[in-house]
Amino acid sequence: MTSVSTPAHVAQNPYNAQILGWGSIVVFLLAAEGLIRLGFISQFIVPPPSEIAVSFGRLVAEEHIIRRFFYTVGECLAAGAMITVCGVAVGVLLARYNLLRQACETWVAALASAPFVLAYPLFMVIFGRNAWAIIVMGFVSGLPPVILKTIEGISGTRRVLVNVGRSFNLSGTQQVWKILFPAALPTIFVGIRLGLVFALINIVGTEFLINFGGLGQLIADLAERYDLAGTYAAICFVILVSIVFFVTLEQIERWLRPVD
Amino acid sequence: MAETGRLTHTRAATSAANPVLLMRIALVLALLTIWELLARSGWLYRDVVPSLFKVGAAVMELLSNGDYYFNLGVTAAEIGVALLIGGLSGIAIGLLLGANRFLARAYEPFLYYLGPTPKIIFFPVMIMWFGVGPESKIALGTLSCFFPVALSVAAGMRQIDKVLIRVGTSFRATIAQMVFKIYLPAMRHPIINGVRLGFGFALIGTLLAETKLSNKGIGFLIIQAYSTFDMPRMYAMLIVLFVLAFCVNAAIGRLGGLETIKRT
Amino acid sequence: MSAAAANDAILVAENIAVRYDTAEGPVTAVDDVSFEVKPGEFLSVIGPSGCGKSTLFNVIGGLLGQHQGVVSVAGETISGPHKSIGMVFQEESTFPWRTVIDNVGFPLELVGMPKAKRAERARYFIKMVGLDGFENRYPGELSGGMRQRVSLARTLASEPKILLMDEPFAALDEQTRLLLGDKVLQIQQQLKQTTLLITHNITEAVQMSDRILVMTYRPGKVKRIVDINLPRPRNSEIVGSEAFGRYVAQIWNDLREEASRGMKDAEQSALHGGETQ
Repeated sequence: MTSVSTPAHVAQNPYNAQILGWGSIVVFLLAAEGLIRLGFISQFIVPPPSEIAVSFGRLVAEEHIIRRFFYTVGECLAAGAMITVCGVAVGVLLARYNLLRQACETWVAALASAPFVLAYPLFMVIFGRNAWAIIVMGFVSGLPPVILKTIEGISGTRRVLVNVGRSFNLSGTQQVWKILFPAALPTIFVGIRLGLVFALINIVGTEFLINFGGLGQLIADLAERYDLAGTYAAICFVILVSIVFFVTLEQIERWLRPVD
Repeated sequence: MAETGRLTHTRAATSAANPVLLMRIALVLALLTIWELLARSGWLYRDVVPSLFKVGAAVMELLSNGDYYFNLGVTAAEIGVALLIGGLSGIAIGLLLGANRFLARAYEPFLYYLGPTPKIIFFPVMIMWFGVGPESKIALGTLSCFFPVALSVAAGMRQIDKVLIRVGTSFRATIAQMVFKIYLPAMRHPIINGVRLGFGFALIGTLLAETKLSNKGIGFLIIQAYSTFDMPRMYAMLIVLFVLAFCVNAAIGRLGGLETIKRT
Repeated sequence: MSAAAANDAILVAENIAVRYDTAEGPVTAVDDVSFEVKPGEFLSVIGPSGCGKSTLFNVIGGLLGQHQGVVSVAGETISGPHKSIGMVFQEESTFPWRTVIDNVGFPLELVGMPKAKRAERARYFIKMVGLDGFENRYPGELSGGMRQRVSLARTLASEPKILLMDEPFAALDEQTRLLLGDKVLQIQQQLKQTTLLITHNITEAVQMSDRILVMTYRPGKVKRIVDINLPRPRNSEIVGSEAFGRYVAQIWNDLREEASRGMKDAEQSALHGGETQ
């Protein structure tokens, strides 16, 4: 079909692609190790991967990376709880009152792509250089998707379900809580997942920038001390945490999705 | 999926336009009033929430200050270069992954899962590699915007109407002709959307890097305002920044013929 | 075999066969199909769904590499899309981001024709398909029938020796189809264009063709070649004539058998959980 194609027998084996992918990484790391050890790349700019791996142990023992991990997770959970409660509440409100929704929905959509994290110095002023600045930053950046998805979920409910509620003479508010809301849960969860991902990214970023907190602060600290291998190791660890977080949320969402 | 009776009332009757406008004006006025009351109440520490008039004055002062435009130019240039490098490489990789299913299965998951990670934490590495000047900011901006562009373009490739490709093949177009006369135009919407996303991420990455370590640029000015506790100035800069970002975003979208603000 | 083909056939297909592997085992889409097309001739290939006629279309057009047998144009063997063969596809294939004139000029652009000459040539073919006045419109502003005309003009603009069309009117309603068929006939007669039309529509095939190649159900073989001796020039009025009716009946007779084999096959696979395809 296109001029860039792989031989059919190679392409069809489902494992070959994964072998290529992971294999490339292994090859890359080995090459990096070799080039650095042989002096082609300065080891004062990039430590050899083996050294980075080793320093991870040091991070666990001396820098309490595990404790920091839980600190960051705690901030995320706090922000997540706030996002869920406020986001769903506002979303329900907007879904319920059409005029409000028509007025506000495009604003919320614009806010979803607004670079809130740039205002972190402001948050530092308002809350001080502490965990609250970080948590509120996570909250603010993760809120819009939850609101939008809640509105989408509730207003997208099938008419017949609404009519069932009507036939039982439910009031507007009862309608929302007993029928629309449960039907909207899968979509709402998509919103929460998006919100949590934005929150995590901004929380870790803010920790790094204001030099306070768990994992983000660790990276800033190690960098300041010129602990190269440690800095690289900490960055790798944080990336891994983000990925695991993201994958876990995806799995939960998949599990929650109805058999629709 | 049953089309019968969704609750969504997406068409706003023209007679409803007025109440919506009134509601919006009311909301904005309410917010501004609450703000001003907070500012004057003395509840919060001086200037944490400055009076709107002070903020307004600061905005005026900012926009008439040559120094501001110099720094704006520095930041804009950094973002521009980051978007150029990150955007072009993102498009190139996206085209490759979209064209070849096997390569996509091998490498795209990495892009997909590395995408939603905080890139600012790479900044110390960028400094080590590129020094403390604008290059490290550009590098971070490039890293930030590469992923969304590559992923959008790869997805866009797969959504191209296949028959258009066969038309090109049947007329024996060269690879370059296929790319420039068929693939790219067919993907203009996903590419524009990818570039908008990329711009947003390049903006954030570059600016955050500036706030962390630099002596030029808007990010630098923001941190300077913070350290001198010149709050009205900080608010002014943030407001102007958000407005500019919004306008560029809308302009890119308009460029691609997309009228409304879309969420991804 | 090539000695006999020296009766100046412009397109020769010899022993075309297409086999591929599926999860259920090897499938033969086309099995040993051979035919010739003379210059200026209008040949239709007709068959039930699943007889491999679209596969044949792709083989002759050079879009399907893995096949047995040989396709040659004016003596030259084909391996890939050939400049003597122009293809018109079944689906909507106009470029939505180009105006009509830029669409039609596309093949000329690819070979580097200068802009002025391109415009002139494109206008000529736009007029030929009856779309003059629409040069600067976008396909989105046109109806389905008009868009197919644009696709046709685009292919004609590359002035192929052989015009190869795969059910180009399948997506159109019957009346539009008949009128467009008229247009195509008119053009073909004017240009003396050698045309190979793939279709499932008997009326269309009889209306337009000099000869009709009837294919069997999968594996597709040539069941019969029918000479259509209706007078030329033709138009859609001929659809009502008696001779026309006889040809249609004859071909339907051949096709009915094949079509019902196809239906039975579909029922069988639906019974067995519909995992095929």
